[in-house]
Amino acid sequence: MNIKKFLISSITIAEMEARKLRHDPTELWTRIIQPALWLLVFGETFNTIKAMPTGNFSYIQFITPGILAQSVLFISIFYGITVVWEKDVGILTKLLSTPSPRSSIVLGKSLAASLRGIFQAMMIFALALLLGVKIRLDLLDIVGVFAVVVLFAMCFSSFSMFLASYMKTRDRMMGIGQALTMPLFFASNAIYPISVMPVWLQYVSIVNPLSYVVDAIRSMLLTGSYGNLLIDILALLFSTIVFVTLASTTIKKLLE
Amino acid sequence: MNLDSDGVSILDVPAIEAHNLTKVYRDNIRAVDGISFSVKQGEIFGLLGPNGAGKTTTIKMIITLTKATSGTLHAFGIDVFKSPETARGMLGYVPQSISVDTDLTAYENLLIFSKLSYVSKKERNTRINDALEYMDLSSRANDLVKRYSGGMMRRLEIAQALVNRPKILLLDEPSIGLDPSSKKQVWENIKQLNHEFGVTILITTHDMSEADELCDRIAIMSEGKIAVLGTPVDLKRNVGGDIVTVNLFSTSPAISLPKEIGHIIHNNEKSIQILTTNGEEAIPLIADFFRSHEIRIESISINKANLDDVFMKYAKRRLGDEMYKATRNMRRDFVRHAR
Repeated sequence: MNIKKFLISSITIAEMEARKLRHDPTELWTRIIQPALWLLVFGETFNTIKAMPTGNFSYIQFITPGILAQSVLFISIFYGITVVWEKDVGILTKLLSTPSPRSSIVLGKSLAASLRGIFQAMMIFALALLLGVKIRLDLLDIVGVFAVVVLFAMCFSSFSMFLASYMKTRDRMMGIGQALTMPLFFASNAIYPISVMPVWLQYVSIVNPLSYVVDAIRSMLLTGSYGNLLIDILALLFSTIVFVTLASTTIKKLLE
Repeated sequence: MNLDSDGVSILDVPAIEAHNLTKVYRDNIRAVDGISFSVKQGEIFGLLGPNGAGKTTTIKMIITLTKATSGTLHAFGIDVFKSPETARGMLGYVPQSISVDTDLTAYENLLIFSKLSYVSKKERNTRINDALEYMDLSSRANDLVKRYSGGMMRRLEIAQALVNRPKILLLDEPSIGLDPSSKKQVWENIKQLNHEFGVTILITTHDMSEADELCDRIAIMSEGKIAVLGTPVDLKRNVGGDIVTVNLFSTSPAISLPKEIGHIIHNNEKSIQILTTNGEEAIPLIADFFRSHEIRIESISINKANLDDVFMKYAKRRLGDEMYKATRNMRRDFVRHAR
């Protein structure tokens, strides 16, 4: 397969989504509401009662990286539904009838998910600054956060497309998305430190990819201690490559 | 003239050649059952058949959306299954359901599509504008497609398939769900594409008038097989002619009609159906015959042989002499229902 053609096709698929968002950006704005509520209501409340042992950081500082990761997770995990929907209305069939290699669809769609993720990250940065949440504003760290967001969105959106290849209907994907997001979220270090969890849940959080993402973002936005960063990013990079490759090979099952 | 190494003109290579093409779905349904056909360059070829006959599956195998279970398929000599991406580069595909992206403008739909077809940057704009112009959509090029009518969307579908400058255009039920005037326009576009640019067109339809209007040759499909293949004229001739129905004032006595006029295929007391080779010419003879036997006629109606009859004859049963009677009966039933 020709790499150049593969990349052109992938970028075109992402461009297609970007153009749709430009025509109707409502979705981008409404996606801000939920993380805003987490920070404003949940964050502010727990901030005042100081119930969580969050070390040197205020609670709202602590959960800002968590909420960022969570909202990107929410965007990505439902990406399979978009693909199933596009299959149902025939758009996917049409894309697959072009000379483009089929596997380029997955990379293209996952790039589109990252695009949404980037916008979401910018909004949460703005929100954090607006609320006066103290985060490190080091350029390299911010670039790093965006890189993690991009990888994370690609990873989970292709995971979702991988599932969609077998699930094939929107209803099932909806169910699976719901069944996955909350456990991933609550069994991670997004809104409380792992140390306060019951022991069994601590084990779960070790294998929870969201924990690594939150950890990476948190180290760049808050602590500045990069001890685990390399492992976090390598783990993320690895799973992104695995899922993009996996979904690229399974996506054609969706049409059968 | 272009000659390949064997001295065979490449003009002689069929646009599509299917041999023993078979698709068996998981639950052992033979959607397409060992069909062989070949589409000549520059013709409009129709796959006609009822729903579930295997037309769409055949088209999907050609555009490589579905893998064939067995058989071979060549497009302009290229093995479609071995080099799917090259094959798709020569094909334009308009699926049955509207599948343009309604959240984009017409221009954007074509832009994305031309990029996915690797149309060079230089040519892209010209091709897109040509395709829009050709399908009469230029004035609405920058409107979101969701504001389009059904007919416009269908035309946009075809425009989209054209930016690729395909050698073969595959149209799956192109006029389904369109009002009569939109349908006419789409038909005109299809004919024009074929005549002006020599695009080979494979079309599926269950609409007899559409097949009659557009196709140079037709393959009638039934239960995954090709029941009969030929030009519309030949196929119609095969059905045996026109049916003249004579309605009488009173119950008719037993009569026998001279062979030159036609055969009585059904005698239902006051209504007699006569199979003739040419209905218009037979009517005066029939009228004279009944008058000479002093039988009063209430009315005469004529049912011209059309592809509907061909369809009824072949879509359910395969051609064969022993089937002659059965198909005749079927046709009679059909005629009765149609009245």
